[in-house]
Amino acid sequence: MGSCFSDVRGGQQAVGGTRQGPIGGGGGGGNNGGHNDAVDHFFRARGQPALFSQIELSLSASKLRDLDIMSKSDPMAVVYLRKTDGKLEELGRTEVISNSLDPAWIEKISLAYQFETVQHLIFHVYDVDTKYHNLPVKTLKLKDQDFLGEASCVLSEIVTKQSRSLTLSLHNKNLQVGLRNLGTLTIHAEESVASRTAVEITFRCSHLENKDIFSKSDPFLRISRVVESGGSLPICKTEVINNNLNPTWRPLCLSMQQFGSKENPLVIECFDFNTSGNHALIGKLQKSIADLEKLHKERNGANFTITASHHGHEKVLRSQLFVDQFLEKQQYSFLDYISSGFELNFMVAVDFTASNGNPRNPDSLHYMDPSGRYNPYQQAIMEVGEVIQFYDSDRRFTAWGFGGRTYDGTVSHCFNLNGSQDGYEVEGVEGIMAAYAGALHNVSLAGPTLFGQVINRAAQVAGHSLSHNHSKYYVLLIITDGVLTDQQETIDALVRASDLPLSILIVGVGGADFTQMEKLDADNGIRLESSTGRVATRDIVQFVPMREVHRGSISVVQALLEELPGQFLTYMRARDIKPRAQMPL
Amino acid sequence: MANTHNRSLELEVTVISGEDLRINDRPIKNNAFVTVKADSGGSLSSLQDSTKPDVQSESYPYWDEKLHVDLPAGSRYVVVEVCRRSSAAVDKLVGTAWIPVSDFVGDYTPENYLHFLSYRLRDAQGQRNGIVNISVRVITSSYKGTAASSSSSSSPSVPKFGIPVDREKTGGTVTGMPVWYPNQWKS
Repeated sequence: MGSCFSDVRGGQQAVGGTRQGPIGGGGGGGNNGGHNDAVDHFFRARGQPALFSQIELSLSASKLRDLDIMSKSDPMAVVYLRKTDGKLEELGRTEVISNSLDPAWIEKISLAYQFETVQHLIFHVYDVDTKYHNLPVKTLKLKDQDFLGEASCVLSEIVTKQSRSLTLSLHNKNLQVGLRNLGTLTIHAEESVASRTAVEITFRCSHLENKDIFSKSDPFLRISRVVESGGSLPICKTEVINNNLNPTWRPLCLSMQQFGSKENPLVIECFDFNTSGNHALIGKLQKSIADLEKLHKERNGANFTITASHHGHEKVLRSQLFVDQFLEKQQYSFLDYISSGFELNFMVAVDFTASNGNPRNPDSLHYMDPSGRYNPYQQAIMEVGEVIQFYDSDRRFTAWGFGGRTYDGTVSHCFNLNGSQDGYEVEGVEGIMAAYAGALHNVSLAGPTLFGQVINRAAQVAGHSLSHNHSKYYVLLIITDGVLTDQQETIDALVRASDLPLSILIVGVGGADFTQMEKLDADNGIRLESSTGRVATRDIVQFVPMREVHRGSISVVQALLEELPGQFLTYMRARDIKPRAQMPL
Repeated sequence: MANTHNRSLELEVTVISGEDLRINDRPIKNNAFVTVKADSGGSLSSLQDSTKPDVQSESYPYWDEKLHVDLPAGSRYVVVEVCRRSSAAVDKLVGTAWIPVSDFVGDYTPENYLHFLSYRLRDAQGQRNGIVNISVRVITSSYKGTAASSSSSSSPSVPKFGIPVDREKTGGTVTGMPVWYPNQWKS
């Protein structure tokens, strides 16, 4: 990924902490108010999500089976996450409630909500024998307890409901329908307060040291979070102010998800910007958010220190950091919008160009293996569709193909995958798969690879939806094997679409050289520019080649989805669109 | 082609910020300000408006100032000029952006949609010189006739809401064809 400051323009812009305007508000052009590549890469490489929401599950049950002779059952619930390999990972247990067939447990189970994966939850309810009642719940051996019932669901099913609750019927482990009613389990999900808290801070420095020879320093701040292993991890940086030893930067907005807690120590470093990328450290200090709040209240400054070259001692500098403004605020989270009725609409566009190879040929990227193994197109459709389907209430998805020769003999660069004339929608992910399979029979592969029409069409659909309401956000997945032939036209279409409620995910399949495609994904900070001089308002494109090897438990394609909640929030917050049910923040 | 609409429009333009502004290839020191006007010339006060100079910021100024500009019927562009106010001498032009009206009228969006737009600035020699970020919203439209379509591809008219309209619908939506400038800039 390289240094976060590797290009001058991009490097001069604030990253990670800018106000949530579509243009970053603080000179942070293509940065989406969120993402620092080095940070994401660090987390993803360790199998951890970069930004996630902490959820707490509260459980209750009713009409449980009565297994005890003298009194009622003493139930306890255990929550598991089913991993991709089928193994169950225990997330937590409730306490034991004595003598109740309708328990409402107090102990909550925490887990991280990850938008980009399908999180399968399994719940087991046990009757705990009296002799174990005074032992810590963690130490109980489950095989010694009496099994009362099992239920399962996907976390997205719970959090997308307005009530954030789901009631499930309990059943036997082998899904056999028992003679007796085993009762029901109700799960309620709540986001922790941290997911809505953010602080807006205006930093100022005085008496910064001059590191430049012919002019003054060009300072910027980088804020990092101290991690347990002892290192620190950058979470954001300010913009660069040219030629100023007493700068005031634009306000930084940090969400609690970024800094953890108000007591977490943060390392604040002040650098002098160098176009070479080799920024000179002016000084650093360590403060928590709570410390910064105190600095603001007392109107005090904190001195920077620097490691003296000879002794390794920390030398206290005259340079100081001030907190001119400190504002704590609550902002609506992604789940606040979703549970109030906002939806993600899924659209797919499949590449039907000849470079894929004849579908009847086992070497073709479109080959449908009789054993049922998915080809790359099916894989991408499934991996994205199975996550997004929970966020679309009517599960009607748009499916297009491009670059193929349809029934009338002409090559179309945006045709309905279901072969119909007027309707481009299908039902469910299975509907997309069926339309795709059908199209392979009816459409012959042609070319060239052009994205412009598909993007314009998607933009049209997204734009038209705005006439009705502002609660639909569109996600277009383009799956392609080849390199674009209409680079400028595609960029033009993307720039026009960048101001609409639309995000575009591009998956490259097969072995082509996709370097040119990576330019569309403006992660390096360079905003896309159209042929008419218009510049993209937001970075709405993510690109990944499917063959990229990915460490961690999520697939390469699902990693694409990580940025969606952030892009959704940037769009909504910039326009001050609030969730429908106006719950107090 | 730019949409030649037959009605006058009132625009609320928020000039947000600028990026990497230079004069003679050196970042400007301060006092950048922006003038927004209709392309149909004239310096009628209702046809142009300016921000205050940003005294503090250098080449990445931040204004966040709302301007009101009237767009006479037939205007094809909104002209955004970034200048630097000089106390000693004449204001210096940093760069200009020509914004096709079709970028915010008659595209896929409802009429009063808040558009966040960004444009490349070109200096007097036509060289690229920074970016300007604005938002545009059409406030009212007094209707003087039907919206003419100058595009070859047409699609059903976008359903409009909030404005009682009494006109015949002709297919008039421009589907985003690239706009041709009077002079084609070289990059």
